Amino acid sequence: MADTQKADTQKLVFMVLHGPDHPEHATIPFVMGCAALASDVEVVLGFQAEGVELVHAGVADGIHAPGFPPLAKLLQDYRELGGSLLVCGPCINSRGITAADLIEGAEVVAAGRFVAEITSATNSLVY
Amino acid sequence: MPAIATETELEAITADKIVDARGAACPGPLLEAKKGIGTVPVGAVIEIWSSDPVTKSDIGAWSGKVGHGFLGVLVADGYERVFVRRQK
Repeated sequence: MADTQKADTQKLVFMVLHGPDHPEHATIPFVMGCAALASDVEVVLGFQAEGVELVHAGVADGIHAPGFPPLAKLLQDYRELGGSLLVCGPCINSRGITAADLIEGAEVVAAGRFVAEITSATNSLVY
Repeated sequence: MPAIATETELEAITADKIVDARGAACPGPLLEAKKGIGTVPVGAVIEIWSSDPVTKSDIGAWSGKVGHGFLGVLVADGYERVFVRRQK
């Protein structure tokens, strides 16, 4: 069952649809997510389509968009700040990725969970 | 968020903690400020050093959002000194 938004907190959902081939698009949702968490806003990063590659273990290590911190550093900060990582099940299945291949803390979910997170959020953005 | 201290008042402040985020790209200075302010008591002042000119507006917005006091900015040699008072 999806977590419900606490009455006195705000929540942002960032849907991440771009992967390693688009380093800037892949990086910015992590930047935004970290800034939101630092601002006491609850954050969910939802990975779909090519975006699921970013939580495939080891992939983030090779992504560094100009002007931004390395994605691996942002991912570490994001997890330390308590952000959630939700990953589209059908999207990893179609790429031959298993749950065991994902980074620690990534949770495999389906459409219903994404809908629950988005409808309970203060706002949602798609990258 | 507008600064609430004058340049003279800022110059007179001895910060309780200095956060050196020079060279860090967004959102690095903000995250370092978040970590730093958690290490000082309510009422204390932290001073964030940043070479990114956007940091001062970012920290100002963040302070307003989370309820800390954005005191202002001093220009140093190649970086800026951003002052924030912990208020909660």
